[in-house]
Amino acid sequence: MNRYRLMLIGLLIPTLLMIPYSVISFYTDFANKNPDPLSVTVEFRGKSYDAVEGKKAFEQYQCMGCHTIVGNGAYFAPDLTRAYKRFGENDAALAGFMLSGTPAKGMPPMSGRGMGDEDAYRVVAFLKYTDRLDTNGWPGEGSWDRDGSPDSAGAKKLIGADIWQIILGILLFNLMVFAVILNYERGKEDAGRRKHE
Amino acid sequence: MSEAAMEYPSRARTKKYFTGAVLLFVFQLILGILMGIEFVSRDVSLLPFTFDIYKSLHLNVMILWLLLGFVGGVYYLLPAEVGRDIRYPKLIDVQFWFMLLAGIGIIVSELFFTGRNWWLVEGREYVEAGRFWDILLTLGLLTVVLNIVATVLGGKRKMSAPMLVLCWGAVGSVLMYVPGEIWFNSLVAAEYFRWWVVHYWVEATFELIAAGVMALVLLSMTDVRRKMIEKYLAIEVALILLTGIIGQGHHYYWIGTPGFWLFLGGLFSALEPVPLFLMVWSAYKDLKENKKPVANSVALYMIIGASLGNLLGAGVWGFIHTLPQVNFFTHGTQVTASHAHFATPGTYLFLVLGMAYIAVPAPSGRTTFPQSRGKLGFWLLVLGFLNMIIALLAAGIVQVYLQRIQGVSFMDVQNMLLPFYGWRMIGGAIVLAGGLVIAFDMLMLGRNKGQDID
Ligand code: HEC
Ligand SMILES: [Fe+2]
Repeated sequence: MNRYRLMLIGLLIPTLLMIPYSVISFYTDFANKNPDPLSVTVEFRGKSYDAVEGKKAFEQYQCMGCHTIVGNGAYFAPDLTRAYKRFGENDAALAGFMLSGTPAKGMPPMSGRGMGDEDAYRVVAFLKYTDRLDTNGWPGEGSWDRDGSPDSAGAKKLIGADIWQIILGILLFNLMVFAVILNYERGKEDAGRRKHE
Repeated sequence: MSEAAMEYPSRARTKKYFTGAVLLFVFQLILGILMGIEFVSRDVSLLPFTFDIYKSLHLNVMILWLLLGFVGGVYYLLPAEVGRDIRYPKLIDVQFWFMLLAGIGIIVSELFFTGRNWWLVEGREYVEAGRFWDILLTLGLLTVVLNIVATVLGGKRKMSAPMLVLCWGAVGSVLMYVPGEIWFNSLVAAEYFRWWVVHYWVEATFELIAAGVMALVLLSMTDVRRKMIEKYLAIEVALILLTGIIGQGHHYYWIGTPGFWLFLGGLFSALEPVPLFLMVWSAYKDLKENKKPVANSVALYMIIGASLGNLLGAGVWGFIHTLPQVNFFTHGTQVTASHAHFATPGTYLFLVLGMAYIAVPAPSGRTTFPQSRGKLGFWLLVLGFLNMIIALLAAGIVQVYLQRIQGVSFMDVQNMLLPFYGWRMIGGAIVLAGGLVIAFDMLMLGRNKGQDID
């Protein structure tokens, strides 16, 4: 077969398939398992905030730079998909946690980034919405089912004692790789010399 | 080479793309080290900025230098292929400074405006740069496409297959930036299309660039027949697209999309290593047939490193957690971090460095140059990344077991992972040493020949 035709087929078949798959993913009964983000709201001081505003705030304050949401993002902090459930569906507790953070454990107070009560409640509405997403069972059962309270474990720090426990292992690993590299370069030099002779 | 440089004067203009890329790479490494410190300390008052800021910059700076490297690569390789110089040579300079200024804008926004303005910082992984910068960069990159198209249309010769693949990869990369910039109310839709940017970059369009560049570099450095090198290219490209485009499904398991993606994503992404294996295999066969001594062995090291890193990092490390049955447990853990730190530098870092070692010395008047510094840098990078990859993989396996299977709380598990994070930092320090060696070498090779002291 002509090689250009082969490449074109490789491009066109899956591209054309992506269209129906994407349509099925969003515009059929399959997709209706998720709530409409506009209809998920929380109340604060008589005002109502929805998950769409919340999504924008969530992006703006860069929660995904430390946390994961539906498992995507950074692995520095716990996944937030089910955070609403974890906090016992308590809007005030969740908003308060965000605003004050836990600085010793790596969560900065969001008030330091200019977050006020309003934005905090917007994000709460967003987390309420993500809690209701049908994620095919992910993340399953576990500590994220904890009810109503944040993680009670403190953050330890890496101290000398930890390092010494593994430093020999690291050294060994590196010596091994190093030996392989050296051997390879030597072998090449030898081969080069032999060619000259 | 130097004749070619005279024939195509715009080639000299691409040098700064590569030195710029390498310097930004070093900056990315420093950001990585700062993130490593955050992981072992966690105290938000220890460093001037918080983890998320370093992380976003770590990614955005990488995207920037990848784009610089790829655009520079296309500009460097295209003239000889179509038999004419770049249509608008001045644009090459303008676009470089434009991208650099946009980069500075992104960095300043991230440092000082996170949380303040959504148009400046958007905080979504990989596309953290705010909407304003996204749009600006896309427009800038479209002028690159324009320049490529204008050059190709006015060409004297028909493009060879590898160059065509490379151009399609470059144009596709620009186009694929767009889906990530559309606003969706639904998180599911937003994530769905955010992955169009990320996945279609690293598993489709960038792969095409890699395949094209590898073929062109082997063509220019060896005496292997063109037919032989192009023989596998079409099959590789067809397979990359066939597996990669629907392989997208491996990002759609748990984000709120329908369950049929578990089947589609699992099936197609499990096949993704096949074209990568083919790439290594064909390169191996080409080099075995080659009789010509390769003068620029650093560039060859990098290119071979890229094909092996692609197979192992993207192929094997991707395969181990791409099946939904496994991914259910590994999704969102350090296993993914291990994979990312193998696949991305393993493939695209070495690819860009390989091009840099071809495109920087020649226009400076160097046909031959000492290879030892480049090799030292290469091996330091390999050694450092291997440490990091293994440490993160071990951390990931422990994390999967404790947190995802036993249900131990996140922070408890993080405390137990500290020794692995320490190990990762050592790997990072070795990588930084390698990066510095390469950057120094690049600056030395980039000086014009007359300025040589030695
Ligand atoms: C600089 C990194 C960082 C950023 C940015 C960040 N967080 Fe956190 N967050 C953390 C860390 C680390 C923890 C774990 C600390 C703890 O358990 O107290 C945490 C914990 C949490 C928790 C408690 C989770 C649990 O299971 O106990 C919630 C809820 C939370 N963050 C929400 C947010 C939201 C919403 C944002 C964005 C507005 C955000 N975080 C931004 C680092 C961050
Ligand atoms: Fe992917």
